[in-house]
Amino acid sequence: MSTDTDIPLRIRSALAEFLGRDVASIKPGDALRDDLGLDSLATIELLYRIEDAFDVEIPDTDLPSLVTVADVTTYIQRTAVKPPGSPSGTKG
Amino acid sequence: MTSRIVVTGLGVVSALGIGVRQFWDAALAGRSGVSKLSAFESMPMEAYRSQVAGQIHGFDVGQYIEGASAERVDRFAQLAMVATREALADSALQLDHEDPHRTGVIVGAGMGGMLIAEQEYHRVYEQLKPNRVVPNFIPMVTLNSASGALAIMCGAKGPNLTISTACSSSAHAIGLAREAIRTGRADVVIAAGADASIVPLTFGGFCSLRALSTSFNGFPEKASRPFSRTRDGFVMGEGAGTLVLESLAHARKRNARIYAEVAGYAATSEAHHMVVPREDGLEIAETMAMALRDARVRPAQVDYINAHATSTPIGDVVEIKAIKHLFKRRATEVAINATKSLLGHTLGAAGALAGIVCALTIDRGLIHPTINYDDPDPECALPGISGQAQERSVEVALLNAFGFGSNNASVVFKRFVP
Repeated sequence: MSTDTDIPLRIRSALAEFLGRDVASIKPGDALRDDLGLDSLATIELLYRIEDAFDVEIPDTDLPSLVTVADVTTYIQRTAVKPPGSPSGTKG
Repeated sequence: MTSRIVVTGLGVVSALGIGVRQFWDAALAGRSGVSKLSAFESMPMEAYRSQVAGQIHGFDVGQYIEGASAERVDRFAQLAMVATREALADSALQLDHEDPHRTGVIVGAGMGGMLIAEQEYHRVYEQLKPNRVVPNFIPMVTLNSASGALAIMCGAKGPNLTISTACSSSAHAIGLAREAIRTGRADVVIAAGADASIVPLTFGGFCSLRALSTSFNGFPEKASRPFSRTRDGFVMGEGAGTLVLESLAHARKRNARIYAEVAGYAATSEAHHMVVPREDGLEIAETMAMALRDARVRPAQVDYINAHATSTPIGDVVEIKAIKHLFKRRATEVAINATKSLLGHTLGAAGALAGIVCALTIDRGLIHPTINYDDPDPECALPGISGQAQERSVEVALLNAFGFGSNNASVVFKRFVP
């Protein structure tokens, strides 16, 4: 079960691994495109990994709202964390 | 060098109909060839983000071509064979009277034999019997199986080539067919485009790329909407188109009917990104400018543009930006349409089908509508784009086609004036 506290770090770690950078260099306020240099394809590749890691599916219509690292974190916290005993959303 | 190359035959296999007449009548009427995606056997179809496609339903190659040869190639090559048969009949070429080494075939194909590919991949991994891969797998899956099948069907012994540049493949096939004739390698070249890859893995791949429309799954005919504010990705299509190109001297000698002249061509790379165009549109503008220079035509002389316009949020804006940059005030006067609004995106077939539309537009003086253009995006809107068919004499037409891999093509067609 993911918890609220480890989601931000896991997302920053996933980004760090994807970008080949130190996790400390990735700030919640960083914009995926303008600060981290992810183009649209790279963003989709990253979100694919995050979908897998948190067992969520991010519909195309939600993509425009995911501008910063914090946006992704909030989105995953909202959609991935299920109440205790929930049968789904427990992967990872 | 032979300077003038003309189009003398056309053939179409499309989601709007099999045959040029069926396709063209439906196009002028603004009908959509897009429908709900057919089920992939036991695949849970609801798991696909996009559930619409421009499919050719009920296609049976045996209705059009006798014998086993057509049944032993993959669907994309079958579509190419049927389109080519029509184009040859339309051209009235008597191939048995031609020097076979002066007749070539150039096919544009983006994906290749994906039906057999997915079927056999699935089988070999599921059954773990590599010795049971069908013997015809390799000849069917290879990208050049369509050009091979066409050359065999036609007895064409000249250049037999396949161009694979994703969605611009068959625009290059037309351009390179022209060059093969201009440089004296052939008198006649059959230029075709074909793709048929609406199959579970490939369709899923385009879904994962977030390239396809997902907001109109309940309204398939609305999903392909180039230049519209609410466009949200392209619709995957399939089909084939064939143009018979020949030197003017050759066409004259046999008193052929001429649709149009292929007057210019440009091939460029943006050297930028595998799937995203440069947002300033400058490389697209340069590609169009190069093709017009090759045709010795000024931008102000262009009457009609068959836009690449796939209905993606970025692509349509970039193309219009490029058109405005190159054409300046003429951008507000030129007629523009998007054939993909009708068929979805037929990938490797798109350039050939667009070339056929250019030839018919010049020949008939009619511009097919861009359907679903009911809520124009202010960044794309131009006066020459219309949801209705337009009657207009077209002397010069420009075809745009852009492909993954940072690839651009433009082809210029002119009314044939003796």
